[in-house]
Amino acid sequence: MFEHIELALQRPHYIAFVILFVWGLFIMVTHPNLVKKLIGMYLVQTSIIFLLVTISAKQDATVPILQGNDAVLAAGDDVDPAEYANPLPHVLTLTAIVVQVATLGVSLALVTAIYRTYGSLDEDELLKRTE
Amino acid sequence: MSYQYPAIIFLIPFLTAICMPVVCRKKRDWCRPIALAAVCAMSAAALANLLNVLDVGESSYVFGGWLSSSSPAGVPIGIEWVNDGLASIMVVVVSLLASVCVIYSGPLVSRSLGTRVVHYHTLILLLISGLIGVVFAGDIFNLFVFLEVVALSAYALVGVRGGKALMVAFRYLILGTLGASFYLLGIVFFYAATGTLNMADMAQHLADNPQLMTSKAVIGGATFMFIGLGIKMALFPLHGWLPAAYARAPDAISPILAGLMTKVALYAWVRIMFWVLGAGTEIGYVHVLSLLGVLGALAAVMGALLALSQQDVKRMFAYGGISHIGLILIGVSQGNPTGFAGGMFYLINDAVMQAGLFFIAGAAIYRHQAHTVEEWSRLRGASPWMTAALVVLGMSMIGIPPTGGFFGKWYIILGAMEAGNYLAVGAVVLATLLTMAYFQRLFVSVFRDSQASPPVVRVETELSLRLSVGVTAVTIIILGLCSDPIISFFRNTASSLGL
Repeated sequence: MFEHIELALQRPHYIAFVILFVWGLFIMVTHPNLVKKLIGMYLVQTSIIFLLVTISAKQDATVPILQGNDAVLAAGDDVDPAEYANPLPHVLTLTAIVVQVATLGVSLALVTAIYRTYGSLDEDELLKRTE
Repeated sequence: MSYQYPAIIFLIPFLTAICMPVVCRKKRDWCRPIALAAVCAMSAAALANLLNVLDVGESSYVFGGWLSSSSPAGVPIGIEWVNDGLASIMVVVVSLLASVCVIYSGPLVSRSLGTRVVHYHTLILLLISGLIGVVFAGDIFNLFVFLEVVALSAYALVGVRGGKALMVAFRYLILGTLGASFYLLGIVFFYAATGTLNMADMAQHLADNPQLMTSKAVIGGATFMFIGLGIKMALFPLHGWLPAAYARAPDAISPILAGLMTKVALYAWVRIMFWVLGAGTEIGYVHVLSLLGVLGALAAVMGALLALSQQDVKRMFAYGGISHIGLILIGVSQGNPTGFAGGMFYLINDAVMQAGLFFIAGAAIYRHQAHTVEEWSRLRGASPWMTAALVVLGMSMIGIPPTGGFFGKWYIILGAMEAGNYLAVGAVVLATLLTMAYFQRLFVSVFRDSQASPPVVRVETELSLRLSVGVTAVTIIILGLCSDPIISFFRNTASSLGL
């Protein structure tokens, strides 16, 4: 039990991820306001992107562009992978953000259309009126 | 040329979707012919691709010429598409069914959507291209992106008519995005554990390091991925979004959603389950396939039970689809080639059956304003085409030979017997009986001979409606008659996976 807590405390970003994820989920489930639901949804998605970024963090690493003059680069053997950050998680992050933005765009369009049609954003009232 | 087939199949609907709003801004009548031409061209390319794969064997398509998992250096960098037998068959199913859906939607769209036909055709082509991407994807993150392309177009399509469908679309969006988030979380866990996203490469990593299978990252990742895809495929306890979305969606859109969306999500899970994790996997001391079998049995029975209690016909068919997802899961989870082949064959049949049933339901609303089971009595004698197709598709849903549904169920049951899994056999039989019960209600309503009904006026439906309904009914019989080569093909696929 104690070592579990110790392990968790050594990785505070995991704790931050869990708090953000559960918080977002809680807002999504409990709030009757549709826009607040979307805020919860956004929080859930952002927390996952946050996790993806933090697990790829690397100390003392630089951008993945080969350093040094042409002679060193031509030899190719002197490249130390530990010096460079892995670019893949960042690319994934970018793509996930694009997906997230697209989802948010569609959802806000839907919410706008709902508000124009019913003049309300309260889920309970909307359900009563659409049933 | 033949190497480029996957890209060509994908690009035809995708580029057409992008050009559509520009080209058809002034000329709305052009939408339908252009969309039809695109899906027909795509179907031709898909058939050519299938013949090519059967001829020369599977290949992988690597974007930008980067290294692939099969290249000698062994470290895949680029995005890879897998063009094997299963994928090419699924692509043919998706593109042919999509073509029929586009043919079908003509009269319904022009009546119910009015000026929004351009939006409708753009979105449906985007949806189709996303489905193609999901089927071909050989990379779990690429799969996620295409799942989202499909899902976003589907949310917009459900809500395209406005009104009451908006709230349903919003709910679908919330739950669908939650599913996608869970799936993305699973990807993050798998990436952290293996350091790769390519399916073949990841399978290699997992096979080389068996201790990974008991690590928390893989256990968590597989669980999250399954929950995410479970929401997308509407597996029984996670099905909440589906019935309302299908029932309230415009009639032109329900068939393609019902026929393809959940089936493609299930296909994605089959890919991950058998191509990445491996058939005999135990994750955290749980034998995954046995767990899937139990979940499938639950979904099969509960879906059929819920279908029995529905009044609205579209809702009834939607719950029938949930039940069939369970049947397919039972099939693929038996751990032997017979069950796998039966499950995959049933997946194809189910895509056709669901699309066909929603064609009929949509046409019944369009022609006779018949929403509920009682109102379906208006079909009696009035629409021979629809009634005949309903009988054929109902036979297939129940599982009566010579329709495709019978052979799918037959091999699923044979597979379960082979595995000695009598719980699964019982679930399939019970689901079949319940399916028979709810179709009985429908048949009674349509065929009951009552004096009270007024004399019927025969109103022939539009040619495109008759055509699409007829084509699905004939296809389901052809699938049944030609089940043998397809089943043996899937058996070979299963044996190559080590089942």
